[in-house]
Formats: sequence, structure tokens, C-alpha cells
Amino acid sequence: MTRRRAGAEESLRRLLALVPWVAGRDGPRIADVCARFGCTEAELMEDLELLFMCGLYPFTPDTLIEVTMEEDRVWIRYANFFSRPLRLTPAEGLFLLAAGTTLLSLPGTDPDGPLGRGLAKLAGALGVNPEEALGVELGHAPPEVLATLQRAAAGHNQVVIDYYSYGRDDWARRVIDPHRVFNATGQWYVDAWCHHAVGERVFRVDRMRDAELLDATFDPRPISGTTPTYSPRPHDPVVVLELDDQSRWVAEQYPHEGVEEVGSGRWRVRLRVSERAWLERLLLRLGPRARVVDGDTTIAAAAAERVLARYGVSVKSP
Amino acid sequence: MTRLERLINLVAALLETDRPITRTELQQRVPGYEGSDQSVRRAFERDKDALRNMGVPITVEPLDPAIPEAGEGYRIRREQYELADPGLETDELAALHLAASAVRVEGATGQEALWKLGGAPGGGEGPEGPLAALPGGEHLPTLFAAMSERRTVHFTYRGAERSVDPFWLTFANGRWYLGGNDHLRGEERRFRLDRIETSPTVGDPGAFDRPAVARRPSPQPWRLGDEEEVEALLLVDAHQADWAVAQVGEAAVRESRPDGAVVLALPVSNREAFRSFALGFLDHAEILGPPALRREVVEWLRSVRLKSVPG
Repeated sequence: MTRRRAGAEESLRRLLALVPWVAGRDGPRIADVCARFGCTEAELMEDLELLFMCGLYPFTPDTLIEVTMEEDRVWIRYANFFSRPLRLTPAEGLFLLAAGTTLLSLPGTDPDGPLGRGLAKLAGALGVNPEEALGVELGHAPPEVLATLQRAAAGHNQVVIDYYSYGRDDWARRVIDPHRVFNATGQWYVDAWCHHAVGERVFRVDRMRDAELLDATFDPRPISGTTPTYSPRPHDPVVVLELDDQSRWVAEQYPHEGVEEVGSGRWRVRLRVSERAWLERLLLRLGPRARVVDGDTTIAAAAAERVLARYGVSVKSP
Repeated sequence: MTRLERLINLVAALLETDRPITRTELQQRVPGYEGSDQSVRRAFERDKDALRNMGVPITVEPLDPAIPEAGEGYRIRREQYELADPGLETDELAALHLAASAVRVEGATGQEALWKLGGAPGGGEGPEGPLAALPGGEHLPTLFAAMSERRTVHFTYRGAERSVDPFWLTFANGRWYLGGNDHLRGEERRFRLDRIETSPTVGDPGAFDRPAVARRPSPQPWRLGDEEEVEALLLVDAHQADWAVAQVGEAAVRESRPDGAVVLALPVSNREAFRSFALGFLDHAEILGPPALRREVVEWLRSVRLKSVPG
């Protein structure tokens, strides 16, 4: 055996698609075949040399696949059993439809263009209705803000944004160098250098109410590709929450520094929290199912009182 | 004899036959199965698994349907193997390539799928990094296949056995949802994929007819519940009004106040989810009604206060 097992399977996957394509054409160029199927000429030659020894029992010349190469072109004949490629697996079909539907949902994509047409044909072959079967909603972002950021990222223009800080519950204007605009798990983000914070930041586009393109440009710098999840810093204050069984999801959803069971279905989870408003929301949502046992134990009560005041309910401090 | 050769010959033999063939026959027709009976069996099982893994539909069928004791053999039915030609034009294939490079779906790659459709036609260069990334999910391919073949799926959800005719899959709010006819409830329901508790099993193909126009509404968490639906009125201050309207849609705006605040009218069948949504605004929002909902939130906030007091 000259190949590793994974190599044989990878080559087979390619050949089962490549053979019908070449066999259905009159001598395509070898370079074109390689470009289409993502392999080098050497790899293709190796596979083709093997292919022409394959075929059907009893492997007499008339039952073997014929491979002819002339100058820079290739012909494959007598491979009728491989006249069509292998059907798409459900995962492959889903991936292509999801990718296409996603791109089609972006502002500025023509639904009647090549993508829309290709997608409709593909869905038909897979036996589903493209408009009804699969939906992708990438999450809201003000379209004009998104367009400004994309233009700025492409042209390396600085941008002034009016940004809502969820952690501080506050709006502020800041100048950023937008490097990359992208969507992850249903939210639009921009990877940027923030002149206000003097550092790399990931901003949520749905929390901007305005973005203004500046004439000033920036030099693109390598960005670390930060993941848009919250990552605590070592000097952030520690809060230990005691949760009931129903609220264990907190430990699954947020980065923490340890979780322990303390008996009778209760858990303690140790979090580092830099932003007060973030913790306030969490505690209000958890309500009676959680309490702060270490750290600032007044946060929940103070936040609840503020919101209660809004409802016209005053609560005297104990 | 390399393994690749053996695999090609095996697929060719199984595709070309018009009747099931036994392992012993295959050993004769496909060179490369050598050694003891046990090692031949092992090699064949390994090849069969590898082929099935890449989606090659190898079936096991009785050699003679009239005589079950005659044993079983293997074959690949052409109609199950071959890709129906979608008839893509070059620009359409190029557009799908671009989409596959711009969008990532966790746990999936488009490379082989695109080979099957005719490979990269060249031209359109993709963006540098992915423009959008969707999470995957272990149940997604199974549910998608069931949807396309109209098979009823069975799984446990919130502790109950469900049988669902799958109509649609939607990615929204950062999650995948399945919609379909829930046999248990006798009506169309939505299910969060990450809350499906068991691996879905599927029934026979063609088990149901799809509704003419399947509803695919954006599933808002406060509508994903079994409680009696009430219409909640939520006042959101100017500070957060734009964001709130973007989340729920313009149609929900009942009143726009001169100071920029809005009153949203929202159908609620999951009060807990609605409470979380409302409290996410901290003191920038207020539930105006119905009175019962408002009272519940006030009670909830009072209990927060009490429980937080140390000791």
C-alpha cells in the first residue's frame, strides 16, 4: 500500500466527481481540471495512472477505464458506471443552501442574479423549496451603518461611530479604524482599532446608531481576529454567584473561574466582571434564583430598586 | 494494488451489477482482498464503512426475495447514487463557490459538494476571511435530510416524545430552529435544535405533504411557549428605542412618543422569556400592561431585592 488511508479516501472523493466531469467533455485541458478540482498536476497524474488500471471483472482491456493524455489535454472513456457524480450528502446540501441563502440575505445581493438562480436549481435537485425550507436571519444592523463600515473597511477610512456600551449602559462617540466587518452566530461585528480605548476592539454593529465616514485613512495592521465573545481580564473584580439548578446555564454560557456544587441542587460559580450593567442584567433576569455570595452584594438590590422606581414602587432600604 | 484502486473497483462493481452480490463474489471480482477469510472480511468492512461515510449508498438485499435463507448480497442502486443534474450555468456555479467561501457553517465544508457540481469554474475570488459564520449542530444534517425526503422525525423535547413532520429550518437569534407539524399537539410548532434531547430518528420517506406555504416566522423567545397568549405593551425609552424596534419589527410599534420613546405591542406565550427581554433594558423600559404581567415583574423585582441581602 503506497498511500495513507486518508489519502486514498480523499483521492476517491475527488475522482468520483472528476471522472464524470472529464468523461462528459471532449478533452479538457489538464490545467483546467486541476484548477477545478483543487489538485496539483502531479497529484492528478498519480490518480490517473491508477485509474486506467481500474474497471470491471475480468479486467481485460475492453473492461478497463481508458485514460488518454495528449499534450495538455485529457480524455476518460469507458467509465459508464461513473457517468454521474455521487449525490450530495444531506450535510453538503444543507451547507450549500445555507451559505447561498445567507449571502442572498445581505443587502445589495440581487435575488434574480446568478446566486438566486443557482440556489433555486440546487434546492430543486435536493427536493426542497428554497424560499420555504431554509431561512437565515443574520440579525439586525442598521443598513446604512453597515454599508458605511463596509466601505470604510475596504477603503481604509476612519469612521466616527455613536456606540452604545452594553456593559456601561451608555452612549458615546468614538473614532475607529474598521478592519473587518463580519457576522458570527447571528450578530454583525466590526474588528477595529479604537482610538478612544487605544486598543483593538470588537464592536457590535446593531449597537451603533450612526457611523460617519472620515477622510482620514489608516494603515491596515494585522488584527488578531479576536472572537466576539466576552473575555474577562485578570484584574476584573470577582463575583461569586449562588445559583439554583434551573440557572446552571450561567456556568455554560459565560466564561468563569470555577463552578462547584454546594448541595441541595445549588451551585456556586465564580465570575470576573468588568462591567456593572452586564451583571445587573444577569442578576435581574435570574431574580430569586441567584444571589451574590462574594463580591459586591448590593448590586442586584440597587438595580432592582432602580427599575422598581420606574414602576412607581418605592422600597425602603432595610 | 493500492487501496484507492481497490475502492474504485469496488464502487464500479457494485454500481454495475443488476443483482446483489455476495462478499465471496466481490472477493473474486475486486482484486486486493487477500489473505485469511478474517482479514478479507475486515478489509471489506473497512472499505464499506469508508464508502458509506462519504455518502455512497451501499444496500444489503436478499439474493433471492423468494428464498430468504439464500442469504444477502450488496449493491449500489444507481438511482440512489447519482446526483440529479441541477443544470447549473457557469455563472451560477461560480456564485455558489463565492457563497461557500464567504459563509462558514461550523462542522461543514463545501469543497466536496462543489466538486460534485463541477468544481471551481474559476473567476470570482472569495473574500479574505469568511463574511459570516453560522454555528452548526449535530442534528442539522439529519433534520435537513428528513425535510427533503418528507420523513417524520422522532425525538425527545422538554421531556416529551415528539413526532414532527419537518417543514423548515431557520437560523435566527443566533440559533437553529425546526418548524413542523407536531403530532403530539396536532399543530405547527417550533423547536430549538439545541434543546432536542435525543438523536432524532426518522420514519419512511414521503410520509406527509408539505403545506402549500409553510409559515416561517421569526421565532422570538417570548413566543416560544405553551402559555395562553397575551398582548404585552412595553414602553422603551428613546435611549434604546431604535434597537428595540429593530429587534421586534416596525409592525409591533403601537405608539411613537414625541420624546423618541416607543410603545411596543408583543404577543407573549412565554412570560419568563418576555420578562428577561424587558429587564434587559434595565430602567430604560417598563411593562405597561396587561396588569397581571406588570404585577408579576414587580413581584419578581421585589424578590430579587430580598434574596440579594446577605445572610
